[in-house]
Amino acid sequence: MFDGLIQGLATALQPSVLIYSLFGVFLGTFVGVLPGIGAMATISLLLPLTYYISPEAALVMLAGVYYGSQYGGAVASILLRLPGTPQSAVTSLDGYPMARDGRAGLALFTSMLSSFLGSMLGIVVLVMLAGWLAELATKFGAADYAAMMILGLVAASTVGTGNPAKSLAMVVLGLILGCIGTDVNSGVQRLTFGWAELMDGINLVALAMGLFGVSEVIANIRKADRHGPPTKVRFLQMLPTRQELRTIIPPALRGTAIGSFFGALPGTGSTISSFLSYALERRISRRPERFGHGAIEGVAAPEAANNSAAITAFVPTLTLGIPGDPIMALMLGALIIHGIQPGPMMLEARPDMFWGLVVSFGIGNLFLLILNLPLIGIWVSMLRIPFRWLYPAILIFVCLGVYSVRGSTFDLIMVAGIGAVGYLMALARFNPALLLLGFVLGPLIEVNLRRAMLISRGDPMVFLERPIAAVFIIAAAALILLSLWQAVRRGSR
Amino acid sequence: MTHPFNRRHMLLAGAALAMAAATGSATAQSWPTAPVHIIVGFPAGSSPDTLARLVAEPLAARLGQPVVVENKAGAGGVIGVQQMLLAKDGHTFGATINGPLTTSPRLIKDIGYDVAADITGIALTATSPLVLAVSADNAASTLQDFIAAAKADPGAMTYGSVGQGSGAHLSMELFLDTAGLEMLHVPFTSYAEVTTSIMGAEIDAGFMAPSAAMGHVQAGKMKMLGITSAEPFPQVPDVPVIAGQDGMPADYRAELWNAFIAPAGTDPAVIERLNTEINAILADPTVQERMLAMGWKAEGGSAADLTDRIAADTAVWGRVLDRIAGKQ
Repeated sequence: MFDGLIQGLATALQPSVLIYSLFGVFLGTFVGVLPGIGAMATISLLLPLTYYISPEAALVMLAGVYYGSQYGGAVASILLRLPGTPQSAVTSLDGYPMARDGRAGLALFTSMLSSFLGSMLGIVVLVMLAGWLAELATKFGAADYAAMMILGLVAASTVGTGNPAKSLAMVVLGLILGCIGTDVNSGVQRLTFGWAELMDGINLVALAMGLFGVSEVIANIRKADRHGPPTKVRFLQMLPTRQELRTIIPPALRGTAIGSFFGALPGTGSTISSFLSYALERRISRRPERFGHGAIEGVAAPEAANNSAAITAFVPTLTLGIPGDPIMALMLGALIIHGIQPGPMMLEARPDMFWGLVVSFGIGNLFLLILNLPLIGIWVSMLRIPFRWLYPAILIFVCLGVYSVRGSTFDLIMVAGIGAVGYLMALARFNPALLLLGFVLGPLIEVNLRRAMLISRGDPMVFLERPIAAVFIIAAAALILLSLWQAVRRGSR
Repeated sequence: MTHPFNRRHMLLAGAALAMAAATGSATAQSWPTAPVHIIVGFPAGSSPDTLARLVAEPLAARLGQPVVVENKAGAGGVIGVQQMLLAKDGHTFGATINGPLTTSPRLIKDIGYDVAADITGIALTATSPLVLAVSADNAASTLQDFIAAAKADPGAMTYGSVGQGSGAHLSMELFLDTAGLEMLHVPFTSYAEVTTSIMGAEIDAGFMAPSAAMGHVQAGKMKMLGITSAEPFPQVPDVPVIAGQDGMPADYRAELWNAFIAPAGTDPAVIERLNTEINAILADPTVQERMLAMGWKAEGGSAADLTDRIAADTAVWGRVLDRIAGKQ
C-alpha cells in the first residue's frame, strides 16, 4: 500500500494533473453553490473535452468536480434555504435557522470543517477497507438492501419536527411520488398518464429544487425590497469556540461512518446518508427539541456524511467496475473512452491510475478547505444583495440546472408546479424534507423487497434467514418498539 | 449617408430566397446550409452517446458544418426519437439504439410515432452481441452443462436482465424458447446490478454486454458460456457462438445495435449523402478500434439495409413479446 501511495503521489503531483485537479475542485465548488446545477450536468458537459487530455488528468478533474460540488452544495442551503444539490437539502434544516440567527459564518465554517473531515476520513476508509467493502457490496442481496432501507426509513422518519400526522402524510406522499414511472418488475407504467417524460419517474433535481428552492422564492416575494439578515463575518468570529468545536467533531465522525458505509454500497447514495446521519444525531441527542432550530450537529453530521459518501462511492466503481450512481457511471464512461477497462483488474493493470486518483482526493480536499474558508465571507455577503435581484437570478440558475439534467422542458414545468405546491405546503407547515426522504427511499425499498420476494418465490422468511437482512429487520423492529415505549411512558406521566 | 452594406445584404437575401425555392436535388447539393443536430435519446457518456460522438466529430469536417450532439434522455431512448420528429428543419437527425425502433412501440401505449411511416434509416452504426454470463462458482462450465442443468429442474434457475422488454430480457427469452428451457426472470435496472447479483450467487445467470462481463471474467469471478452473435466476437474471441451448439438452431442471433435515423420525408439525396459519409467514417480503423474497445463492432451499410434490419428485428422480438404476454 505504501508503494502505491508513493506511486500515486508521483502521478497526482505531475503539474498537468495537479492543475486539472485544482480546476476540477474549483469548478465543483462553484456549480455546487448554484442551486440546481450539479456535478452530474457539469461532468456530462466536460466529458467530451476529456478526449484531449491524459486519462489521469481527466479522471482527477471529473472526480474533483464531484466531491467539490458536495462542499459548495451546503452554502446556499445554509444561507438561503436553497440547496445547491439534493444531498444538501438536509443541511438546510438547521443551517438556515442558524443563518437567520446571525450565525451564518459559524454554520458555513461547520459545514466546511465537517466536509473536510468526512472526505479525509473517507479517503482513509477507501485506502484501508476498499477490498473488504467491495467484498461486502457483492454479498448484499436484494433482501439485505430492502431490510437496510426499511431500517433507514424507520430511523429517518423522526427527521421532522412537529405534528406526527403531518410528518406521516409527507413521507407517504413522497412514497407515492416515488411510484411514478415504469414499474421495474412488470414494466407497467404507473401514474404516468401517457407522458413519456414521466416513464423514468420524477426528476429528483426538479423535485428538490421545486420543494426547497422555488417555494422559498415564492415565500419571499412580498419581501422583495429587503435583503437577508445583516451578518458581518470576520475570520475570528466565524471560528467556533472550544465548546462549539466539541459539539461539531463527534457528529461529524458519526456522519463519516454512516456516509462511508452507504457510499460504498452501490445504488444507495449520498442523499440517504445525509438523512440517516441527521436522524441519528437527533435520536441520540439529549435535547432533540433544538433540531430544526439551529442545532450545530444538524449541519455537521449530514455534511460529513455526504462528503465521505462521495469518496467511498469510488470503492465499487474502482475495485469492481460497478458504478453506484449515474455520476459514477459517467466516470466509468470516461475511463472507457480512454481505453482503460474498469473492473476488478484495474488495480493490477493501472495502479498508477488508482493510486493517483486516491492521492488527488487528498490534495483536492486540502485545496477545497483552503479555497473555501476565505470564500465564506464572500458567500455571506451575498445576503446583502436585495431579494429583488438575488431571487430572479436564483430562479434562472434553478431552471438552467433542472434543464441540464436531461434537456427536458417538461422538467421545467414540473419544477414550477412543484414549487407552487411546495409553497402551499410551507404555509400549512408540512415538512418537505420528509417528502424527499420518502421519494428517495420508497423506490429502493419497493424494488428490493419485490426482487427478494421474487427470488425467494414468495417466501418472506428470506428476510430472517439471511444474516445481514435479519440484523436490519430486528434493529428496525427494536426502534419501533422503543419509540412506542417512549410514547406510552410520556403519555402515562 | 447611405449604408455601404445595403446592396450586399439585398444580394444575400436574394440568394437565400433562390436557394429556398430551388428543387430537391439543388437543395441536396448545397445541403447542409446550417449546423446539423443529432439527437441522442441517452445521457452524455452513455454508450449510444459516445458512439454518436465518435461519428459526429469527423462528420462535421466532412460536411463543412458543425455537428451538434444533443442529449434528450428518457424512456429508453423513446424521448430522443420523439424530439427528433418534432424538429422539421431538414438538419435534425437522430442516433438511437434498436429498442425505440423495434420493441418500444409494442411496450409503450401512445408512443407518438409509427416507425414504418415516420422514420427513415440512414445507416447502422455498430452492433454488440450479448454473452451468457454465470458466476465462476457455477457448476456449469459449458453451454451444454448449463442447458442440461436448466432442463434437469425446470423453472428453478433464475436470470437477471436490465428490465422488462430490454435486449437482455428478450434475448434470454428467445434462447430459453429455442432451447426448450424454463427460468425465472428477475428484472434489474443496470448491468452493474445484474453483475453484483450474479457474483453474489443471488441469481444464476444473465445475458450481458461482453464489456460489462470481461473484467470480472479476467478476475476469475465470472464465466462466459456463449455469445449471441453469428460469429465469434473480436473483443472476446474465445467465447463460443451459441448458434448451432447443443440443439440450438444455426440462425440463432440476438444483437443490440445503434443507428442513425432521419424523419420520414427527408430528401433522399440528403440521406444518401449522410450514408456515404458515415460509411466512410465507420471504415476508418481508428474509429473501429475505439468502438471495439467499448464492446461495439462498427457496421455501416446502406440505408435500405437498416430499414430491412428494423423490420426483421421488429418481427423476431414481436414474436418473443407475444410469447411472454401469452405466459402471463
